[in-house]
Amino acid sequence: MKEGFSVIGKSVVKKDAVEKALGHSLFAADIKMPGMVHAGVLRSTIVHGYIRRLDITKAQAMPGVLAVLTHKDVPGRNRIGIVFKDEPVLVDEKIRRYGDAIAIVAAETEDLVREALEAIEVEYEEIPGVFSVEEAAKEDAPKIHGESNIHLQRHLEHGNVDEAFKECDIIIENDYESHLLSHMFIEPEAGLAYYENDILTMICSTQNPHYDRSEVAAVLGIPYNRVHSVQATTGGGFGGKLDIGVQCHIALLAYHTGRPVRLVRSRRESTLVSSKRHPMKMHYKTGASKDGKVLATEVKILGDTGAYASYGAAVITRASVHAAGPYEIPNIRVDATFYFTNNPMAGAFRGFGVPQVAAAHEGQMNALAKALHMDPIELRIKNAHRPGSVSSTGQVLDKDVSFIKCLEEVRKKAEEVLPPCVPTAPNKRRGRGYGCMYYGIGNTGLPNPAGAFVEVLADASVNLMVGCADIGQGSTTVLAQICAETLGLRYEDIKVTFANTQVTPEGGATSASRQTFISGMATKNAAEMAKQTLTEVACEVFGTQKEDLVFANAEVYPKSDESKKMAFSDFMKELVKRGKLALGAGSYNPKTTSLDPKDLSGVPFEVYSYAATIMDLEVNIETGTVDLLNVVSAHDVGTAINEALVEGQIEGGVAMGVGYVLLENMETKKGIITNPEFSKYLILTAADMPNIYPVIVEGDGEAGPYGAKGVGEPALIPMIPATVDAVENALQLRFEKTPILPIDIMRKLYAE
Amino acid sequence: MEKITIHFNLNGKDVCRETDPNKRLIDFLRDDMGMLSVKEGCSEGECGACTVIFNGETVTSCLMLAGQVEGGEVITLEGVADEGDRPNYIQQAFIDVGAVQCGFCTPGMILSAKALLDKNPAPSREEIQTAISGNLCRCTGYTKIIDAIEIARDARGGAKA
Repeated sequence: MKEGFSVIGKSVVKKDAVEKALGHSLFAADIKMPGMVHAGVLRSTIVHGYIRRLDITKAQAMPGVLAVLTHKDVPGRNRIGIVFKDEPVLVDEKIRRYGDAIAIVAAETEDLVREALEAIEVEYEEIPGVFSVEEAAKEDAPKIHGESNIHLQRHLEHGNVDEAFKECDIIIENDYESHLLSHMFIEPEAGLAYYENDILTMICSTQNPHYDRSEVAAVLGIPYNRVHSVQATTGGGFGGKLDIGVQCHIALLAYHTGRPVRLVRSRRESTLVSSKRHPMKMHYKTGASKDGKVLATEVKILGDTGAYASYGAAVITRASVHAAGPYEIPNIRVDATFYFTNNPMAGAFRGFGVPQVAAAHEGQMNALAKALHMDPIELRIKNAHRPGSVSSTGQVLDKDVSFIKCLEEVRKKAEEVLPPCVPTAPNKRRGRGYGCMYYGIGNTGLPNPAGAFVEVLADASVNLMVGCADIGQGSTTVLAQICAETLGLRYEDIKVTFANTQVTPEGGATSASRQTFISGMATKNAAEMAKQTLTEVACEVFGTQKEDLVFANAEVYPKSDESKKMAFSDFMKELVKRGKLALGAGSYNPKTTSLDPKDLSGVPFEVYSYAATIMDLEVNIETGTVDLLNVVSAHDVGTAINEALVEGQIEGGVAMGVGYVLLENMETKKGIITNPEFSKYLILTAADMPNIYPVIVEGDGEAGPYGAKGVGEPALIPMIPATVDAVENALQLRFEKTPILPIDIMRKLYAE
Repeated sequence: MEKITIHFNLNGKDVCRETDPNKRLIDFLRDDMGMLSVKEGCSEGECGACTVIFNGETVTSCLMLAGQVEGGEVITLEGVADEGDRPNYIQQAFIDVGAVQCGFCTPGMILSAKALLDKNPAPSREEIQTAISGNLCRCTGYTKIIDAIEIARDARGGAKA
């Protein structure tokens, strides 16, 4: 923990912990209103084609059914999407995936909703579908949107790759392939909306209430300030609640019926239609000198973005920028292409494509270490980003670059806690695996500001208002700590109102590990503005200069005469006397530049987090099952605002990352998900967990609020390569694809 | 449809309530009895968010009919807190150690912990892991939840295993 702070670094109790532990927090499905009705969505049962007949008359005529709406009932724009507006709220032209929304129903009871949906008659005209990037790339392939199935392409060029390969002593060339994964937040999407006095109010499970507002306003054709978007307590997101879920549908139904409308997705509906992790096929060619200096990396990426664009643009750009890993490599070329298919829509999922490329860039480093008989950590230290390194986009990394410290700390901790790498039984093989990553904090090369309002009240309690959605990770707590530290008050003095468009400023998405950094800076700026007023008054009260003043631990005093110390609440009376209000409005937009489309050069992120992980596991060679033993994971977070919350992110990242490699697998057949339930899509349970040793690495404090960066996604990313490497080392086999399920292990061991 | 009348004990109070015979226990508890801590995450008994304690054992209330609790005792998270709605020792441990993130699995987790500690005041870490393995959590990686249950065990004098 860093010294010199009174609130920063402390593992204060999360703002929402007590009400959640008591079961008092209201999630969207828990909210009821007088006169409330229920809602449901009729979804397509084909993956590609057209609606030839749609008859809603029987459903409309049912007693207790208040509305059956189709695209004809959308008063504004019938298209949504975070980057490209390509997804219909209700199908008007074409069906592009299983589960496209065709009609929506509001009725007095949930049973009536089901019956009304069943009473809607639909006839389709099916057209051939496209279910792989190879099929999508064919010239005569059916087109999902417009004239081409190519969604986006990115080309990154840094140095001279072709010349550099000629100078290399060793070249490692491999293929890697990642699979379709589902967020599986435990709370399915839900929301409640009502339309009163020309204002549409909605309370939803979401990661971005401000984006929701803009989409609903456009769909209804009303100004932003007539949509009041409030985040309900949200049961996890991981990127899967960044797209529109129920918002537009409940808004339309509330608008047309005048009744409060609630829609709660079933697990099945949630999994079938929410976004997924992009499956990627990657080819890597890495060249190095014989002493282990990587001189050139060439990467080709093919990605399946599914039926709609969603966050595909963010994923392809971030994957391209991070493709070579946290290493100083003078020559890099990346070519990435994402294709539309009729598969489930892929979008944002913890890491935006970086977990996929980390499996590959770390696979290459591990292969290189083996080929050169070098220690995998030494090889990485030799190539690591360090202060002054130039990144793949030509950015000079001059702010808080602590990768080498992560590598040294993870090695030190592993030596301390890991037992010898010896199997515990004759039928088991034990392996250690290594994985690292770096991760740019915030959106890639795009403006992505956040704001905050602060009011210090007459009794020295504080209202902090932030747009930032807390999805359980603890942003509300962290922002209160930043606010308290800046003002010199206590954590418990700060009341946070968050993610409520009527009262809080724009917060941007809770994504890209950006909120601690960006909303954190906005909060600090707002608190500093309020503090200017406090400082002016304090100068008068104490008859001193502002440099002499101390605001700390809910006290105010001049350094030169501590005997004048006043309780903050007494000091506030001086403001009241003078008719002064201590108000602050702050915002922050990370200092980035847009990337040059010809080679992706530029400054995509202001700061980067780094991590290094060592995995220790055993494989049972009779069953193909894996026992997780120990994980040591070192994370450079700049400054840990709240150590317990940082550890919570790291531990959660371990569970999700290990599951990614060894357990989770979203299966599809002709574009239709066949295992949308927890009984068939397995995630890690408490009984599976290894011992986790989180190591928090702190930097020089130049980046972010009090030096803080982000950890939400970095927690996950190095787990992917570390787990793959550990299995490979245990078995002395190579796995180029994820997942690595018991059956894959048995096949490799005995069939191949 | 003819209604049925259910007599049972909910969180220490005897209750008699009419309801539909085909109503799931989760819907009965949430909609009829207002026990909103009972969460629905999967509707197939896999995620454990709807866990309640029935006659001392944890059950997933999405897989039971309301009528099945006739004559029995049901505990939801609403019935766990100490007097004055103060967190009990298990809840307090969850709060103190940082075991609560999004909070959607938390009610079920705490009830599984309570059912375990009521029966076995001195479980080992492995026994704790097994006892909550029917409760899925996507946020925490379970570590702090297991830590919290160990702290609760120790707070009640349960021997460290």
